Amino acid sequence: MNEQNKKTPSKAGAILRTPFRWIGRMFFGASKSMANDPFAVEKLESPSKMAVKEFFRRKVAVVALVVLVALFLFVFVGSLFIPMDLSYTDTLQANIPPNYSMRRVPKELKDNIREINGFSNFTVGVSHDNTLYMWGHTNNALSNQDYAAFPEEIQPGKVLTASAGYNHVIAITTDGKVVGWGDNTRGQYGTANEADNLLQMPDLILNGTLDPAKVQQLVCGYQATALVYDGQLYMWGNCNALTNMKQLLAASETYCQENNTRVAKVVLSNYYGVVLFENGAMTGSNMLFNRESAMSSTGEKVKNFTTYIFDKKLVDIAATNNCFAFLLESGEVLVAGAAEFGEQDIAPIPEGEKYVSLAGGTRHFVGVTDAGKAYAWGHNDKGQAEINGQAATTVYAGAKQTYLVNGEDDLTESFGLKGYLFGTDNRGRDTFTRIVHGGKMTMTIGAVAVIVSSIIAIIVGCLSGYFGGWVDMLLMRITEIFSAIPFLPFAMMLSMIIRFYPISDTMRIFIIMIILGLLSWTGLARMIRGQVLAEREKEFVIAAQSMGVKEHLIAFKHILPNVISVILVSMTLDFAGCLLTESSLSYLGFGVQQPQPTWGNMLNGANNSIVIQNYWWQWVFPSIFLSLATISINVIGDTLRDVLDPKSSREK
Amino acid sequence: MGKYIVKRILYILVVFLILSLMIFLIYNMLPVDKAMEKAREEAQNPANRNNPNFNIDERYAFWQEKLGLNGNKFERYLRWLGVYPYVDGTFNGLLQGNLGESFKYARPVSEVLVEPMKNTIFINIFATILALGITIPLGIFCAVKRGSKRDLAVQVGTVIGYSLPTFIIAIVFIWLFSVTLEWFPVSGMATAGSLDWSPAKQFWDKMYHLCLPLMVMTFCSLGGMTRYVRASMTEALSMDCIRTARAKGLREKTVVYSHAWKNALIPIVTLVIGWFLGIFSGSLMIENIFSLNGVGKVYFDALQNNDNDIVLALQMFYIFISLAGNLLIDIAYGFVDPRVRVNK
Repeated sequence: MNEQNKKTPSKAGAILRTPFRWIGRMFFGASKSMANDPFAVEKLESPSKMAVKEFFRRKVAVVALVVLVALFLFVFVGSLFIPMDLSYTDTLQANIPPNYSMRRVPKELKDNIREINGFSNFTVGVSHDNTLYMWGHTNNALSNQDYAAFPEEIQPGKVLTASAGYNHVIAITTDGKVVGWGDNTRGQYGTANEADNLLQMPDLILNGTLDPAKVQQLVCGYQATALVYDGQLYMWGNCNALTNMKQLLAASETYCQENNTRVAKVVLSNYYGVVLFENGAMTGSNMLFNRESAMSSTGEKVKNFTTYIFDKKLVDIAATNNCFAFLLESGEVLVAGAAEFGEQDIAPIPEGEKYVSLAGGTRHFVGVTDAGKAYAWGHNDKGQAEINGQAATTVYAGAKQTYLVNGEDDLTESFGLKGYLFGTDNRGRDTFTRIVHGGKMTMTIGAVAVIVSSIIAIIVGCLSGYFGGWVDMLLMRITEIFSAIPFLPFAMMLSMIIRFYPISDTMRIFIIMIILGLLSWTGLARMIRGQVLAEREKEFVIAAQSMGVKEHLIAFKHILPNVISVILVSMTLDFAGCLLTESSLSYLGFGVQQPQPTWGNMLNGANNSIVIQNYWWQWVFPSIFLSLATISINVIGDTLRDVLDPKSSREK
Repeated sequence: MGKYIVKRILYILVVFLILSLMIFLIYNMLPVDKAMEKAREEAQNPANRNNPNFNIDERYAFWQEKLGLNGNKFERYLRWLGVYPYVDGTFNGLLQGNLGESFKYARPVSEVLVEPMKNTIFINIFATILALGITIPLGIFCAVKRGSKRDLAVQVGTVIGYSLPTFIIAIVFIWLFSVTLEWFPVSGMATAGSLDWSPAKQFWDKMYHLCLPLMVMTFCSLGGMTRYVRASMTEALSMDCIRTARAKGLREKTVVYSHAWKNALIPIVTLVIGWFLGIFSGSLMIENIFSLNGVGKVYFDALQNNDNDIVLALQMFYIFISLAGNLLIDIAYGFVDPRVRVNK
C-alpha cells in the first residue's frame, strides 16, 4: 500500500492509471520487477501472455483483428480526410451506380473536339470527324434505358451535333435528320401525348430534313430541347419542366420580326430558357429578372436588371440549374437567379483581362478571358470550379465537370466529378463518404454504449457479488427489472419521446448511446457477480482483509482485476451487439436521424423491392461494411473467450 | 413446487407493477394531450364556433375528467390500472379489461390488437418449431463430430449467421427469392382480392406470403441457437457419466441421445424459452420489413402516429411476456432436471 501511495501522486491520476495497469498486467506480465530479471522472464510466463500468444496463433482471429483495425482506421482516419456536407442534396445526382468514368473523355475525341455537352450524369461529345462519343453514367437502372445504345441513324462519321438532356439525347446527323433517344414520355422527341402540357416536336424537325450548314446550336434541358436553326428558335418538350417555353418562342419571333434580327444562342436552366439575339439583346422570363438579385462582376448588386442591360450589348449567355450569366460587350458579367451555391461570386480576373465567353454547368460557371485563361466560380463540391487562370481557348461544362480545350481543339485539362466509387443514394449523396462517416457514427455509438453498460455492470456486479446480503438482493432485483424490459420496443419508445424535445442533434445521438447502454448491462452484471462470488472466497481476499484494506477497495481493486478477462470478452461481444441494435434502431427510423448517416439508417431506404432490385449499391455496400464489422468483432470475442478460458484451452 | 410458483407469481406481480409505473411515467412524457385534442375538435365544429356559450376551457376540463386525465400522474396511473375511480366514481382500467382507445382506429385497443396478435403468435410459433427442428439436430451433430471439417464449416456459418442483423438477411433474401427468382411476394400477407376466396385457399395464400418471413426468422435464429446447442452438448459429452456409459459398452446413439442430451437440455430449455419470448419483440423487425399485420407492425405504426394507448398496451404486453418467460424458465427447470430443487 505504501509503495503504491508513493507512486501515485494524485488520486485522479491513480483512477486513470488503474485500468491501464490492469490491461498492461494482462498482456505483458505481472510486474516490472519480474520483467527486469531475465531468469524470471524465462520461467514465468503469465497466463495472459500465453493467451495473447495463443490468440495470434489462430489465423481466423488474426484476420478478423486486421479487418477490424482496418475498418477502424478507415472510418476514423478516413472521416478526417473526406469531408462531408450534411445538408448536401442534389436530385440530379440521385441513384447513380458505382462509376468512375464521368470525366473520362474518350481517347479518340481528346485531340479532336468539336463540342462537349452534358446536362446530367452523362456527357456527349462530337469530334471534328463527325463521330459521336458518350461517357459517364449512361445506363438508367430504373427505366432500363441505355443512352450509350445509339439508334441506327447514329453512325461514326455521320453526326453533326448532339446534346444531352436529363434523360434524353438529341443529335443531328450530317444528312440533316434530327434523331432522339432515351426517355420520350414527356415529348423529349418524337410524338407524344397531346393531352399533357408539352410542346410537340415541330414538323420540320420531326419529318423534314435540315440544312446542316444552317444548324447553329442544339441544347437540351431537363426534359426539353431547343434548336437554333437558320436564325430561328425551335423548342419542344415538357412545358412543366421548362416553364417559359411557349412565351419564349412567341417573344423571340416577335422580337426578330420587329428588330430585323436573328436568334444567336439559347440557354436553358432547369425551369427557364433565355434567348440571345444577334443584335446583342436578349429575352427571357420576367419572373427571373424582376427579382432584385442580379450581381455584377464589378462587385455591385444590380437593382433593376432589365433597365440595367436595356441599352447594353450582350455577347454571351450561360445557364446553370438556377442561374443565368450574361456577358456584356464591355467584359462585365452579370449573374441573375436564385444563387444557392455561390453562382454570383463571379471569379475576379487580373487587371487588363476581360471575359470573352461563358459556359455553365449545373451549379458553376466558367469564363474564358481574352488572355486565353479560364476562371470558374460557383459550387465547387467536386472540384469543378477549381479553375483559376488555366490556359484555354474554349471551355465546355458538363453537369459537374469542366473541360478546358486549347486552340487546336485538344483537351488540355478536365476538372470536376469523376464519379462515385460506391454510387449515390436517393438524394444524390455519395455512398462512400456516407459509409465512412456513418461507420464513425455507428462505431462511436457502439463503443460509448458498451462503455456505459460495462461501467454500470461492473459497479453493480462487484457490489452485488462482494457484499452479498441485502445489497445483493436489492441490486439483483433491479437487474431483473431492467432485464425484463423488452429492448427494441422500449428503445423505440424512448427515441420517439426525445424526438419531441427541442435538443440538438448531437445531444440526441448522445442520448441514444446512453439508452443503448442503460438497457444492455444486465447480462454482464450477472456474469461479473457470479465471478466475484467465486473470487471472494479465495485466500488473497482474506489476506487483504486482514491487512485492513477497505472493503470497496478490495472489491474494485483486488477482485475486479481477476474478473477482467470475463469483462473483456463480454465487452467485445457486446460491442458487436450494440452495433447491431443501433443499426436496427436506425434502420427502423428510431435511431440516428437523417441526414446524419449511420450504417443502419443508410439501409433505411432499402426496404422496398425497387431499391433492392435496381439500386443494389445502396444496400450492398453498407451491409458489407456492417457485416464485416460485426463478424470480425464476434470472431475476436469468441477467440478471446477460448484463449482466456483455461478450461477450453486444455480441451484443445 | 406449488408454493414456489405462487411465490414467483407474486414477485412477478410486484416487478410488473414497478415496471408499469415506470413505463407509464415515461409514456406520459410524450407531449400529447388527448383532452385538449377533443376540446379543440369540438371548437372546430361549426355548431360550436358561433355559440357564445361555448368555452374551450370548460370543455377541456370536461374531457379531462371524462378521460381520467385530471389529477397528478400517480392518480392517472392508478386509474389506468383500474384501482382509482374516475370522477363519476367508476373504475375503468387494466383490471376491468380496458386498455384504452385507439386514436387512429377509433376502437378499443383490445379489439384492435386481436387480429395482429393472432398473426404474431402464429408466426412466432411456426418460426420456433422450424428453428428448433433444424438447430437441435445440427448442434448435436456438431458436438459429436467436434473438430471435424463439417463442424468447422457449420461453425463459420453460425458466426456469420449470428453476426448479421435481421434486416440485412431480410434484404438479401428478398433480393434472392423475391426479386431475382420471383418465388415469393416481397411483402404483405394476402393477395389483393383474396377475401372472397374459400378459407382453405386463403390459408394457403397466407402461408405462401409467410414463407419468406419465416425463412428469414429461421435463418436468423440458426446461428446463435446452433452454437448454444453445440456448446451445451459438448459440455455434456465431457461429463464423467458419459465416459461411464461408454465404458459400460452402450451404443454411441444411446450415449448421445439419452445420456448426454438429457444433461444438455437444461441450458437449452432456458435458451429456447428466452428466445421464444425474445422473438416477440424480434418479430417487430420482420413484421415491419415484410409489412405483416402483427403486433410489431401495429406498435411501429402506433409510435409513428402518436396512437399512445396502443403503445402503452403493447409495451405492457412485451413486459408481461418477458416476465412470464422468466417464470416459465424456472418451472421448466424443475421438469427437465430433477436435480434442480426449485422449492427451496
